[in-house]
Amino acid sequence: MHADSDVGDIVRSGDRLIAIVGNYGSGKTEVSVNLSLQLARRGLHVQIADLDIVNPYFRCREASLLMQSNGIRVVVPHGAHAWADLPIILPEIRGMLHPAPGTLSIFDVGGDDVGARALASFRTSIADGDYQLWQVINAKRPFTDSVAGCLAMQRSIETASRFSVTGLLVNSHLIDQTTPETVLEGWRLAQAVSAETGLPIRLVAVMDELADATELRVIDAPILRLTRLMTPPWSVPRPRSLARLQGVRP
Amino acid sequence: MAKVLMKGNEALGEAAIRAGCVHFFGYPITPQTEVPEYLVKRLPEVGGAFVQAESEVASINMVYGAAGVGIKCLTSSSSPGISLMAEGMSYLAACELPCVIINIMRAGPGLGGILPSQSDYNQATKGHGHGDYELIVLAPASVQEAVDLMTLAFDLAEQYRNPVMICADGMIGQMMEPVEFPGEGRGEPFKPNDWELTGAKGRARRVVNSLFLAPEELFAHNIHLKEKYDRIHRDEMRSDLYGADEPYDLLLVAFGTMARISKTAIDEVRRDGLRVAMFRPITLNPYPTPALRAAMDAMGPSGKVLTVEMNMGQMVHDVRFAAEGSRTVDFYGTAGGIVPSPDQVAAKIRALIG
Repeated sequence: MHADSDVGDIVRSGDRLIAIVGNYGSGKTEVSVNLSLQLARRGLHVQIADLDIVNPYFRCREASLLMQSNGIRVVVPHGAHAWADLPIILPEIRGMLHPAPGTLSIFDVGGDDVGARALASFRTSIADGDYQLWQVINAKRPFTDSVAGCLAMQRSIETASRFSVTGLLVNSHLIDQTTPETVLEGWRLAQAVSAETGLPIRLVAVMDELADATELRVIDAPILRLTRLMTPPWSVPRPRSLARLQGVRP
Repeated sequence: MAKVLMKGNEALGEAAIRAGCVHFFGYPITPQTEVPEYLVKRLPEVGGAFVQAESEVASINMVYGAAGVGIKCLTSSSSPGISLMAEGMSYLAACELPCVIINIMRAGPGLGGILPSQSDYNQATKGHGHGDYELIVLAPASVQEAVDLMTLAFDLAEQYRNPVMICADGMIGQMMEPVEFPGEGRGEPFKPNDWELTGAKGRARRVVNSLFLAPEELFAHNIHLKEKYDRIHRDEMRSDLYGADEPYDLLLVAFGTMARISKTAIDEVRRDGLRVAMFRPITLNPYPTPALRAAMDAMGPSGKVLTVEMNMGQMVHDVRFAAEGSRTVDFYGTAGGIVPSPDQVAAKIRALIG
């Protein structure tokens, strides 16, 4: 069990398995990789699994080297299979369902209900209360820019995955055009979803350079400071994660 | 309308609706599948229809039928699927039917891989189906430009009664960027015209046909089409120059994602005092040859030209054609789904003029 004092500002001591779900392009992978890195840098044993069976690019497997160099156990398809669009669920993932004390498992799940379906086969192996399923909310994405849209997404993900959403993770952004108002829009949307569902807002992801903005002081949920890692190859500064897509041989 | 965050493929789908597209016919293939995935949700909301065809051959022929009755329609695929559509494109061009075809290119040949590539340049600009015909080919370098070019694509398709292809690589299709869309809701249908099949009651019948057994008639049709393509080449060339306001010693030529990467490389080498500009064709066909030649000539005879592509060297032949032997044209490219980094492009620039 990890000490509250070390990581209590972003996760709780009872969080052992966190699966990140949400609609396509809501930023699940960026959040999963950032969360893993920050928890690992605070001394927690972190293992992350890439369960994305729907996206062909910008999957967390592309940040494998970066995460491994920070001591994170990365469970992703190997070799040439890493670059396939095949629905690969590695057998090692089953072993991550009940992590040893002091270890946290993070599942980066694919988008929408079709991506969340990858979780369903694990449902009978895990009891209620032994998992966290956080739905990412980005108010700037089509289909989930309203309470009704977020609720419909929640229902479809729950039906496909057979798990229940246990918390909300606000990740409202427009990449390099994000303003504090963009974040607040997502915060207000998540508050409305929370009021409707009773789900707690577990994290609010904010780009590091905006995280100290005075406008955001109204947010009374834990803040996850984000560094953009899943960037296209022309980004400045250089993307550190997408080793293969940058032309570096694996 | 406020900005939203969208994947290139989704944005192309929404932009098609804003341009008035009501029908989509297609078949899934990575890395373009989000186009049909988005449209299957959105088209019914705007009174349109989505049909998943049994193959790309069926998709393009459904487009042929729908376009024939004057419906604004779209299909999309990725490289191998586009090859399958080639015959239908020839028929659509022969019958002068307007439509838009999206190619989100992946690495080939054959099944190849699912990572980004620009290796269908030759196919898009000089290949696909048989016979003397041309497509208008547009190459976006950002998600916003993909949206803007979709509007233009339907406009050009209607104006010239010709299929238009949006040719982007997998990176543009898969990446997320903030975008703004023109208008609200579904755009306008085709203007009243004298070609769509609506039923001939009370008027002379119209025929959609590409069979001309008499050689004189076919030749006359070829001449008619050629005159149209000549007008397209005269009036529709589009390109962009970056960093050409100041003198430059090297002109880099790149399109799509490679132009984005090259721009980062150029900004970097300029900090070291190297004088580099970039020419980016937006229409791959008609190729903006005169503008490219002018950008070369602006350098004087010692200026160097470097073409950078995500393929083994395809557009470079059009760049050499524009140079007409006036100077050598260097090439740098990668394939297989390997995307060159800005550092690699910068190293190539330094090797030439550093």
